[in-house]
Amino acid sequence: MSTNRDILNNKKFRVVVTGMGQLSSIGQGIPVLKRALLTGQSQFTQSSSFSMLSFPIIAALLQDFVFEKALNAFSVLPNNLLTMAKKAGHRAPLTIQTSLIAALEAWEQAKLYKRSFEKRRMGIVVAGHNTTLAYQYQRYTDDNLNHLSPIYALRFMDSDQIGTLSEVFGVKGEGLMVGGASASGNIAIIQAHRMIQQNLVDICMVVGVLADLSPFELQGFYNIGALGGRNFQKAPEKACRPFDRDREGFIWGQGTGCLILESSTMAKVHGIPFLGEIKGVAIALDANRGASPSKEGEAYVMQQALTHARMLPTDIQYLNTHGTSSLLGDETEIAAIQFVFNEHIHKVWLNSTKSLVGHCLWSAGVIETIATLIQIQSNFVHANLNLENPIDQDCRFVSSHSEIATIQSAMSNSFGFGGMNTSIVFTIGE
Amino acid sequence: MTRNEIWQALRSSLLEVFPEYTNLNIIEDLSLRELGANSVDRAEIIMLTLTHLNLNIPLVEFANVKNMIEIVDLLCQQIETF
Repeated sequence: MSTNRDILNNKKFRVVVTGMGQLSSIGQGIPVLKRALLTGQSQFTQSSSFSMLSFPIIAALLQDFVFEKALNAFSVLPNNLLTMAKKAGHRAPLTIQTSLIAALEAWEQAKLYKRSFEKRRMGIVVAGHNTTLAYQYQRYTDDNLNHLSPIYALRFMDSDQIGTLSEVFGVKGEGLMVGGASASGNIAIIQAHRMIQQNLVDICMVVGVLADLSPFELQGFYNIGALGGRNFQKAPEKACRPFDRDREGFIWGQGTGCLILESSTMAKVHGIPFLGEIKGVAIALDANRGASPSKEGEAYVMQQALTHARMLPTDIQYLNTHGTSSLLGDETEIAAIQFVFNEHIHKVWLNSTKSLVGHCLWSAGVIETIATLIQIQSNFVHANLNLENPIDQDCRFVSSHSEIATIQSAMSNSFGFGGMNTSIVFTIGE
Repeated sequence: MTRNEIWQALRSSLLEVFPEYTNLNIIEDLSLRELGANSVDRAEIIMLTLTHLNLNIPLVEFANVKNMIEIVDLLCQQIETF
C-alpha cells in the first residue's frame, strides 16, 4: 500500500490500530471488557483445579469457555472463515482456541474479511513463549505414552500458533513468535510496529497468547515469593491490589488479546477508523537474569519511548502501568515514573488493568494496550481495584471508581523477569 | 471383540477428527486420504482407534494400508494374535 515515492523517500510509516479482540476472565469481546473497565468488574476466585499445589491459588481464570460456543459470537464474518476457524480449533489446545477467538474479533473490527489486500503484505507476530505448558502437563496423565496423540509433535511447539493463525486467515507475509516474559505483549506490538514502519508489511496481526500455566509454573512462582493471595483466601476479589500497602504478589489471570496494526495509509485508503496510533516504542535490557526490577531501566524505556514519539512527559495524560501487585515491582515502577514525570506526576492518571483481569503474563501488554485504547476513545480512566492505602501519595492513582478523563496521549509499560523493560506511547490517532 | 466393534471404533475416531462427516455415509472401502485426512490426521485417527481398543501397535504397521477395510483387517489380525 506504500507508494513508490514513500519508499524512495525512505518514509517511516505511521502505525495505527484498526482492530481489537479479547477474551479474559471478564468475558469475551471488547464491549464486555469496556463495560468491566467502566464498572470496575473483576473475576478473581480461589481455584480448586490445582489440588496438587502446596497452597490454595487465587486466579482470574476464563469462565466456562467452550470454543464452539465462543464462535457463535461472530455473526458478520463469512461462513468459510468461521468454518476454517472451527476446523483449526477443534481438538486444539486452549491456547490455540482462545487466540483464534480474539483474532476473529479483531479481524471483524478491522473489516479485513471484506477488504482486498495482498496476503504477502500481511504479517503475524505472536506474543509469548512456553505457550503449551498446561497442554504438555495434561499429557503426563496419559497412562501409556504409546497412545500419545501424534499431533502432539506439532502442538507442543509455540509456532503452532503462527501456523494455525496464518492458515485460518490466509496470512502469507512475515510471521514470528516473540518472547520476553511479562513484557512479551509489548515486545510483539513493538516488533509489528517496526515491520510496518520498515515497509515489510502493510498490516500485522498481533496476538498475545493466553498463559496456560501448569502446576509446575504456579508452584515455582509461589516458591520464589512472586504469587500473592496468602492473606486473602476468604476474599479472593481483594488479592490483586497493585500499588496498595497490603499487596503480596501477582495474581495470575488467563486472557488473550489481538490487535490489528496497519499503516495509516492503508487504513485511510480502505476507510477504516483509527482506534489509536503508536507514536513511540522502546525496549531495553537491564543485563540482569533475575526477577529484580530496575528503576533506571524502567525510567530509561519510558524516556526512550517519549523521545521516539517526539513528546515530553507533560504530553502524557494517562499511564497504564505494569502494576502487578508485587512488592518490589510496584515500588520500583512508581520510583521510575516519578523520575520520568517529575512535577507532572500530579497530572498523569495511573492505573493497573491487572487489578481487574489479573496478570496475563505473555498477553498482558496486548490486553493492556486494548484497555488503554478503550479509555482513550471513551474519555475515562478505569478504577484501581483494592487500592485502599496507596504506597505513594504524590501519584495521581485512579480511585476505586472509574473517572472521566480526556486523554490525547497515553503510555503503557510492561516489564519482565530477566531484565526486560518496555514502554509504548499511544495517541488518539487522528 | 467383533469386526463390527473394531469398525465402529475406527469410525468414531474418524468422526472425532472430522466431526463434519457425522451425517456422511462412510463406507469401509474408502481410504482416509480420500476422506481428506493428511498424514497427521491419519496417524491421529489410527492412534485414537488404538486407544479406544486399548491396543499397542506401532503406527508403522499401518504404513501400507490402502483403505479402511485394510485398517480393520490389520486390527483384527493383531487382536487374534494376542
